[in-house]
Amino acid sequence: MMVSTDPMHQFQISRLLPIEAGGYDLSFTNSALFIAIAVFGIIGFLAFATSNLQTIPGRAQSLAEIWYKFVAGIVHDVNHDDGKPFIPLVFTLFSFILIANLLGMFPYFFTATSHVAVTFTMALFTIGLVVVIGVWKNGFKFLKIFTPSGVPLYILWFVVIIEIFSFLSRPLSLGMRLFANMLAGHVALKIFAGFIPTLAIGLPVIGVFMGGLLVLPLVVGITALEFLVAFLQAYVFAILTCVYLNDALHPGH
Amino acid sequence: MEHETASHASGGGFPPFDQIDTFPAQIFWLVVLLGILYFALSSVLLPKLSKAIDDRDDAIAANVSEAAAASGRADAAVKELEARVAEAKARGRETAARAKAESDARVAAETSRADAALEARLTSAERRIADLRTAAMTNVSGIAEEATAAMVERLSGTAPAPAAVRQSVARVLAASSTEN
Repeated sequence: MMVSTDPMHQFQISRLLPIEAGGYDLSFTNSALFIAIAVFGIIGFLAFATSNLQTIPGRAQSLAEIWYKFVAGIVHDVNHDDGKPFIPLVFTLFSFILIANLLGMFPYFFTATSHVAVTFTMALFTIGLVVVIGVWKNGFKFLKIFTPSGVPLYILWFVVIIEIFSFLSRPLSLGMRLFANMLAGHVALKIFAGFIPTLAIGLPVIGVFMGGLLVLPLVVGITALEFLVAFLQAYVFAILTCVYLNDALHPGH
Repeated sequence: MEHETASHASGGGFPPFDQIDTFPAQIFWLVVLLGILYFALSSVLLPKLSKAIDDRDDAIAANVSEAAAASGRADAAVKELEARVAEAKARGRETAARAKAESDARVAAETSRADAALEARLTSAERRIADLRTAAMTNVSGIAEEATAAMVERLSGTAPAPAAVRQSVARVLAASSTEN
């Protein structure tokens, strides 16, 4: 009865196809595999759903439209009509995070979004895009995001410092939130689930009942919670992306 | 496979953080694959999807406005129908009134004609009665003269003068006719 109960083992990155390019290790890892599954799963589903578009949609088309309207709704709620060009970007981030999170809910599947390299890349890209668009659209006026209107001059310098820190902490919080949620959820799940065989082995008979009657319902509950978190984190990432992009479009609160 | 893990620290350490040597690989594939996803979504899939949604919205809006127009047409038709019905009713009433007046006039004419005919017949009948009566009265005086002459001849034995008889009979008749 060999049960691996190491909760960190699931986060091991393994090289499935070692690739070396220009001195960098660009191996195709299990992380890349699951990102690819998520990406091509989304593309495949949407390609299937849009292959036969009809006025009265079928099931796949309905789902795809709900999905699209959901994301477009987020963008429209936050950015109004200015946000239209960002719908594909927000859709990409939301869909990828959602599907990668949900894929991670399968046992033995790898959760790509539980890695800082992935989440911080997306977070830094988002904030980088905000800066680029902000400067491109507003030029020097983009700096107004650091100066909230209606603040008395004698305290403005302090508010500006806070605003700068707030701005700099955005990629950190954006990337950390997703990474930490996925990591913590999977660790908790693994620990509680691993508790069941540990109890069963450690306490014969009683331990089996305790594990089955007490711990298993808890694990089921946490699993349900993790599904919620998987969706919620994708939603939060999408919303915050929209909110930050709104800053780029309209600096000065 | 598991022995090919990048991190050597499978027991201790914190895998999410101490696999820094895999970061370039993770980031490279993430960027490449998300780039593919973004390109596929923005260039093909989302435009198709949003076009389908817009087409449906347009179709619904078109149908709704068409339905509103049809409803307006129906209302107008109902109004026209009501107007026509009212007009027809008015015309019907007018026709009926005219017909009644016509028939009243005809009845009145017929009645007056019938009255006139009856009157004429009545008048002629009365005249005939009067003629007959006059004739009868003439005969009566003749008969009375003969009877008187005969009675006087029988009583006296002499025939009276016809003029005296005619005179006395006329006197008696005039007296009896005034008595009548």
